[in-house]
Amino acid sequence: MSGVSAITSAPLSRRRGRVPIAGFFGGALVCLVIIGAVFAPLLAGPDPGAMSDATFAHPGFAHPMGTDDLGRDVLARVLYGGRVSLVIGLASALVAVSIGTAIGAAAGYLGGVVDDALMRLTELFQVIPRFLLAIVVVALFGTGSLRLVLVIGLLSWPATTRIVRAQCLVLRGEEFILAAQMAGASPIRIILRHVLPNVAPYLLVSVTLQTGSAILVESFLSFLGLGDPALPSWGLLLQQAQIYLRSAWWMATFPGVALSATILGLNLLSDSVEGRFVARRDR
Amino acid sequence: MHYVVLRRILLTIPLMLAVVVVTFGLIHLAPGDPAYLLAGDAPTPEFLAQVRAEYGLDQPLGTQLLTYLGKAAQLDFGTSIYFKRPVFAVIFARVPATLLLTLCALALASVGGVLLGVTAARHRGTRIDGLLSAVSLVGYSIPTFWLGQLLVLVFAMSLNWLPTGGFTSTRITYTGLDYGIDVAKHLVLPVISLALFELGLIARFTRTAMIEALDRDYVTVAYAKGADTGRVLWRHALPNALLTTVTVIGLEFGVLLAGALVTETIFGWPGLGTLFYDAVFRRDFPLLTGCFIFAASAVIIANLLTDLLYAALDPRVRR
Repeated sequence: MSGVSAITSAPLSRRRGRVPIAGFFGGALVCLVIIGAVFAPLLAGPDPGAMSDATFAHPGFAHPMGTDDLGRDVLARVLYGGRVSLVIGLASALVAVSIGTAIGAAAGYLGGVVDDALMRLTELFQVIPRFLLAIVVVALFGTGSLRLVLVIGLLSWPATTRIVRAQCLVLRGEEFILAAQMAGASPIRIILRHVLPNVAPYLLVSVTLQTGSAILVESFLSFLGLGDPALPSWGLLLQQAQIYLRSAWWMATFPGVALSATILGLNLLSDSVEGRFVARRDR
Repeated sequence: MHYVVLRRILLTIPLMLAVVVVTFGLIHLAPGDPAYLLAGDAPTPEFLAQVRAEYGLDQPLGTQLLTYLGKAAQLDFGTSIYFKRPVFAVIFARVPATLLLTLCALALASVGGVLLGVTAARHRGTRIDGLLSAVSLVGYSIPTFWLGQLLVLVFAMSLNWLPTGGFTSTRITYTGLDYGIDVAKHLVLPVISLALFELGLIARFTRTAMIEALDRDYVTVAYAKGADTGRVLWRHALPNALLTTVTVIGLEFGVLLAGALVTETIFGWPGLGTLFYDAVFRRDFPLLTGCFIFAASAVIIANLLTDLLYAALDPRVRR
């Protein structure tokens, strides 16, 4: 950041000061959701599917988020739904980032024909609308949590590939890599031991971003009725709320707040991790 | 210039082919006999035989692929099981409604996003920037389908300002200008719910690109020559920042289409999205795969147009 102009006269300290607050807030949101999901049995009882006679109860003392059409406690369903969304989101993100890292490292480090071929493949996956392809795959092959994780993961790796490849291209010319090559280390050893540790911060950003995006895809599929019907995630809760919008606003409101807060938190978190790391590199 | 453009146009062909190949692969990898996928769950024996012959399903896989590619090249995606009409005709009839929805949303998102991004960059580091960045981040984080539900809850059900869904009013038939107004009223909520995500995204990228542009020497020069802030922002910095914005809009076109799909199902908008959605649950696989190939091609063409627009905006690319 050079060249101070009349437009950007704000003091630097204030500019820098905003990032940690946003990151802190994002981290707090994510922690809150994780705590809610982990301690769901303590906070809302052991069974989120427990029905009662109190159908469509307004949010109140007994049911802070009201009850649904079968008299189930919405708070319990939101907390347990968080477990499903978070686990599927994180698992899909890990699949996506693993594939993306492997392909990105191979393309960036090996270069040449391998790089060309892998990048064409990446472009293809980037151009295909993955939400729609996910729907086609689930419609043809059927649904289920494991399938969802694989489908979302297999369709979400290109973003990571691009980041890892770019970093590998930079690192390839560094002296410590040349030294390792001179010492006779194999390409796989160099990638695993010398290149990837230097890419790690980017991978952290990638996992955070991909988790948010995978949670979104999962909820999107569940909302369309293509999720795992046995495991109610936030998307499924929102789908069930759709027909009762007029009579039970709370059924749509609270799962949506939880979903949006999680995605917002993950976005804030990845923004600030990225900002911090890029700032460190610039110095 | 012509060479670059031609090369870019030709590059879309292998991408389109790849989309068709992927679809073909999925149909054949899916559990069950592909003939039943293409002919429906309970076809007459004659129709089943006809589909087998038409797609050459008794031939080797390579020949089948060629047949499938050949049919796709002629825009023949088979016959819809539910509508009993050619898939392409069914899809084509739904295009105008989706185009109206997505283009309105894209226009709103682009204008709003650029205004928000430029204003935030102009006040970089201040409370205004903080507020605008927070707004765009929240907009970017709210799932389209939930936003749609909230809008219906508040503006259609509680306040009763706007219709809950559909393309036109079902009880009264309007003509002429009144028809246009009726459609516009039905358009407001779907457009807002579809646009907000894109608006947040465009605002975020425009802000970053503007901040980068404002740090460049030509901005300092413009100030030194006595240009006022407005002129520097809109004439000197924005055209450079817009390059990023245009790329983002192009790259996110697939997400916009997916957003249109859920928006349409929530609001009962009679476009491609509802068609796609209904095809899933009617197990109308020719229609489903046809819709997918059509949508993926639209995304590829949108990417092409983005790149061409980029070349038109940035003289450096043309060389």
